[in-house]
Amino acid sequence: MLAPDPAKPVLDIDSVSIRFGGVQALAEVSLKIGEGEIVGILGPNGAGKTTLFNCVSGFYAPNSGRVRLFGEDVTEMKPEDRAQRGLGRTFQLVGLVRSFTVLENLVVAQHASVRSSGLAAIVGAPGARREERLLRERADDVLDFMGLTAFRDRRIGGLPYGTLKMVEVAAVLATDPSILMLDEPLAGASGEEGNIFCDRVEQMRTELGLSVILIEHHVPLVLRSSDYVYVLNFGALLAEGTPEQVRDNSEVAEAYMGEGASTLA
Amino acid sequence: MSARLPRLAVLGLLLLLVLAIPQVVPGVYINVVARAAVYGIVALSMNVLVGYAGQASLGHAAFLGVGAFASGYALTEMGMPFGAALAVAALVGMAAALVLGGVALRVTGLYLALVTIAFGLFAQETLFNIRSLTGGGAGQPAARPSLFQGDVAYTYLCVGVLFLVILFDWRLTATRPGRAIQALRDDERVAASWGIDVTAHKLLAFVISGGIAGIGGGLFASIEQIVSKEDFGLSLSITFLLMTVVGGAGNRWGVVQGGILFAVLPTLLDRTHANFHVFPFTELTATWEPAIGAVLLLLTLTMFPGGIAQQQGALLSWLGGGPFTRDPDAHAPQGGGMGARP
Repeated sequence: MLAPDPAKPVLDIDSVSIRFGGVQALAEVSLKIGEGEIVGILGPNGAGKTTLFNCVSGFYAPNSGRVRLFGEDVTEMKPEDRAQRGLGRTFQLVGLVRSFTVLENLVVAQHASVRSSGLAAIVGAPGARREERLLRERADDVLDFMGLTAFRDRRIGGLPYGTLKMVEVAAVLATDPSILMLDEPLAGASGEEGNIFCDRVEQMRTELGLSVILIEHHVPLVLRSSDYVYVLNFGALLAEGTPEQVRDNSEVAEAYMGEGASTLA
Repeated sequence: MSARLPRLAVLGLLLLLVLAIPQVVPGVYINVVARAAVYGIVALSMNVLVGYAGQASLGHAAFLGVGAFASGYALTEMGMPFGAALAVAALVGMAAALVLGGVALRVTGLYLALVTIAFGLFAQETLFNIRSLTGGGAGQPAARPSLFQGDVAYTYLCVGVLFLVILFDWRLTATRPGRAIQALRDDERVAASWGIDVTAHKLLAFVISGGIAGIGGGLFASIEQIVSKEDFGLSLSITFLLMTVVGGAGNRWGVVQGGILFAVLPTLLDRTHANFHVFPFTELTATWEPAIGAVLLLLTLTMFPGGIAQQQGALLSWLGGGPFTRDPDAHAPQGGGMGARP
């Protein structure tokens, strides 16, 4: 197993703030993710978790603060350029091409890795054809890794929600990211599927060398799979620490369970 | 495997049918067939923009016109050979689309539709009035190539180019740029999160669409061998959008059939009016075309959002090598995958 190294962050969110009209969606939120680390983000609805993802992946421009990716300041960079630097993310509402099959989604997700020119591919040059075959093989490998081979040629439109979330994760894996940001991947999943997914996230770290940031409402699963947990509430960091520290933090318990609660889960 | 022979037989028969049409159609209507092939090309051009990239276009007649006048000018004023004139038409169409695309990057939805209407009107009222380029009210002559002088031969040329554009479209959707264009239609943010340059591929969709429409325009110019600005009004742009939607935006076979349908509709109405002396045909004339187009649009949107292609779903699936079913998920898929179905 790769030893997590928080001292050398792959992603450094440095006091990011963003305001929508009168709502302070994020207030000076700072977060660091080390290489090979699995970081969980907890927080009630509207705490700013997805907003934070959108600031990191470039869909929102923060009013202040910096985002650094592998030491490089990417705060002003377009989303696609961040993606090409190895930042992968999923969306709360499934981010897939609906009219494509599962395999086609995983092929188009590999967009940034294709080397042959569009013209060579259109006329069917041998090199381009070979590359197309490799794209499919790689897509098949990822489907196999995610246990989704059975859905390979199914259209997105007809698949159940929980499966779609997994296909979405597979599509992001196909982009060959170094950092994976998962936004509620277990929405629509059963408890058993949740456990399987936790093992898979662990595999992503050990076998693929990924650093993972996980937004998820299923608190026990987040506590189980994360090395480090941040808790957001009303756009500000409420607490951070190891899963044990966060679980026993009474402030966190109150934010989640209501007044009077003393521990989480 | 078992259905391979019948499938090839049906495909062969369809091909023969298409190739036989210019031979069996009466001489007075042969140009309608050429026009149908050109509309098929225009429909494929619309399909790249509307079906694949999910952009609106209510000014597509302008691209056709730009291509037609460019080809006419190259042929008549510069004495270029026909092939070179078609290439010029494609390039000019691409350039015009690049300009519109640059604007389109900044607006979406209804506003984009308005911008494209304005673009179409600007082209018709201003660009096509430049006498030295378009011949003004007299029109710009556009001779046919020497090898395809006859009406039947020229019609075959148009059908041949239509097949080439279909082939190009198939290859496009099976490759990186085509896939990226389709990905940004559903959700630009998802496309961007996969590292797809949204701006570049939206522009690319415009440029490809403009290039195909330019080629269509070049062919269009030489059907009647003269073009004038009256040919490229707003109503033609609306017809182009109608035929794309009724054909089935996103499906190349659907939109081509939509294009053919709307190309022959006025002639079809006139013929039924002249030949059937019973109600309602006594009342139907070519002037009913917009009304019929509107009804077809409503029927499509309410009952078959996938257009003609959706109604033929089972047939198209079978011809493409899949099972004879409209819903490919209901049966175990056979190979399939991207680019496997032309």
